[in-house]
Amino acid sequence: MFNRLSNRYFYFGFLFILGISVLSVGILMSTSVGMADVHFSHVIESFFIADLAKEHLIVQTVRLPRAVIACIIGANLAVAGAIMQAITRNPLASPQIFGINAGASFMVVLSTVLFAGFSSSTLVYFAFIGAAIGGIMVYYLGSSGSGLTPVKLALAGIAIHLFLSALTEGLIIFNEHTTEGVLFWLAGAIDSKSWQDVKLILPWAVTGLICSFLLAKSISILSLGDNVAKGLGQSIGWIRLLSGGLVIILAGASVAVAGPIGFVGLIIPHIARYLVGVDYRVVLPFSALFGAILLVYADVIARFIAFPYESPVGIVTALLGAPYFFYLISRRRKMS
Amino acid sequence: MINHDTNLTHMIRKIDRPKLLLIILPIAIILFSLISTGVGAVFIPPQEVVAVLLGSGNDMNTFLIESYRIPRIVLAILIGAGLAVSGTILQGIIRNPLASPDVIGITKGAGLAAVIVIILFPNSPVYVLPVSAFAGAMAVALILYLMVYKQGIQPTTLALGGVALGAICHAGIQYFMIKYPLEINAALIWLTGSLWSRGWDQIYGVLPWILILLPLTMVLAIKLDILNLGDDVAQGLGESVTKVRLLMLMIAVALAASCVAAVGSIGFIGLIAPHIARKLIGVKHKHLLPISAMIGSLLVVIADAIGRGIVPPKEIPVGIVIAVIGAPYFLYLLRNSKNSF
Repeated sequence: MFNRLSNRYFYFGFLFILGISVLSVGILMSTSVGMADVHFSHVIESFFIADLAKEHLIVQTVRLPRAVIACIIGANLAVAGAIMQAITRNPLASPQIFGINAGASFMVVLSTVLFAGFSSSTLVYFAFIGAAIGGIMVYYLGSSGSGLTPVKLALAGIAIHLFLSALTEGLIIFNEHTTEGVLFWLAGAIDSKSWQDVKLILPWAVTGLICSFLLAKSISILSLGDNVAKGLGQSIGWIRLLSGGLVIILAGASVAVAGPIGFVGLIIPHIARYLVGVDYRVVLPFSALFGAILLVYADVIARFIAFPYESPVGIVTALLGAPYFFYLISRRRKMS
Repeated sequence: MINHDTNLTHMIRKIDRPKLLLIILPIAIILFSLISTGVGAVFIPPQEVVAVLLGSGNDMNTFLIESYRIPRIVLAILIGAGLAVSGTILQGIIRNPLASPDVIGITKGAGLAAVIVIILFPNSPVYVLPVSAFAGAMAVALILYLMVYKQGIQPTTLALGGVALGAICHAGIQYFMIKYPLEINAALIWLTGSLWSRGWDQIYGVLPWILILLPLTMVLAIKLDILNLGDDVAQGLGESVTKVRLLMLMIAVALAASCVAAVGSIGFIGLIAPHIARKLIGVKHKHLLPISAMIGSLLVVIADAIGRGIVPPKEIPVGIVIAVIGAPYFLYLLRNSKNSF
């Protein structure tokens, strides 16, 4: 027993160190490749030296905040997805399919149209409201009758998505001048992010992630089913509410900064559960780690798709994620 | 005795309703078409519209109505019917009331192909755009079919696979729009679905499909009813379920593709028109198909008139109007559907 347990911890430790190494390599790549290639040695130097050499400046003001944003948003979305899949016990649950991305996008575009002079810190609150509206709509509509089955969830999600994006497109068509930059943002982009954006999202991300990890045990129990959870003395309603709030903070803040990036929240929890089991005290931290890895590498790939132009990272995650989504469906035929 | 009576009135209602609707709906379509003819950047009063139609209007109004408004309304009627029937068929074969050409990704496939043409080949002749949009929709349907083929076209995988394919096409659309930001507006108008500057060219593109496929669907209506009984029953009745599904799927895709090719991706018509029809006359496809076709036409005619009339001279694309009107209704349906998916 002791042996097996220690084996398990050894495995987690190994996986963690491996993950951190892969992530570090990714961050190093992310800070060195792109329109202007910066040599690795300069990258490392620039972490410690604050002179005005061109390479150091590029790394410090452009590349590094971008890599950090990628990590934070990847972690946020992956953890949000994991929580959603646990509390709905639905393998397709994720910020995108739950209308959270679309809702937040709509509110952000609406607020840029209505109040052109808004600072991005105010946008976050609009994104939260939109995320909540989208999520609640899909949950409320999808959970009637036979409950939140995968097909019903996907269809409710896609319908809400179509509705909200029609509104968003309408806003864009009527306000071409104020929404010029919005299209790129709407595809989910993390280029041209600065330390300002990092500062903006960091408090929300840290709070959201830590609270999720603290709630992980209850989330685990909830993922076993309402009856089990009740039997174990969990107050289901409260946990659902708290988890829902966390999802909205994590995903809403991400959309406010980087636009709707899809599929990270769908794929990563599946990979994490496959590798570390179903205990969400382990699943959530690893989801955060893997999410960060995915988005950092996706961002590197995004730079080369239409080189020398930047492509939104959301395109890369969609191209990676959609086939995986289909794989999930075909593998779990009895899912519905 | 009382029981018998209520049965009788019930039966009369059941029999008469489709016939009644087959009279009311065309009248409503004509009526709203007349109203719609007068609405737009240049408002033409109803008596002027009637004068023009009787051949005694002034030249300016006659020109405007004959070369712009009428073709546009004819097109609205055609694509409304096409999309509605496509949606009705899909809901029948997927056995899911939420299925529609948008949901299974066909619209997005057409959108991707169209955006590629608009952006990469802006100088290509006018007929290239609808042809390629049609090809895009067909390609998505083909890939979807190949993906779900092994499992005998199961409703679940069809719906979810469509969602996945739609996401991939959407990523492609975004890629092109972002790489070529100057051409975005033309593409965006197309993507939201608009009847703006559409006319006889598009009508000739859609008409053959409608004329061939709509009657064919009516003939095959009974097969959809059998499919609705469930796979086992259908097989027991001697239907080759997979073959019927494939045939109907092809018809639905061809209808949606030709409509989307003409006017861009108008969503929600294929979703809500069949629902309204089902509410009105029940689930028999013999009645359901024609009624939902007419409701589709009516909806597009009204939505287009609203889009033109609400803030002239600006125009709201008809796709947006329909989404804004149709979505709340659809959400209400979704909430109240007792189907198990």
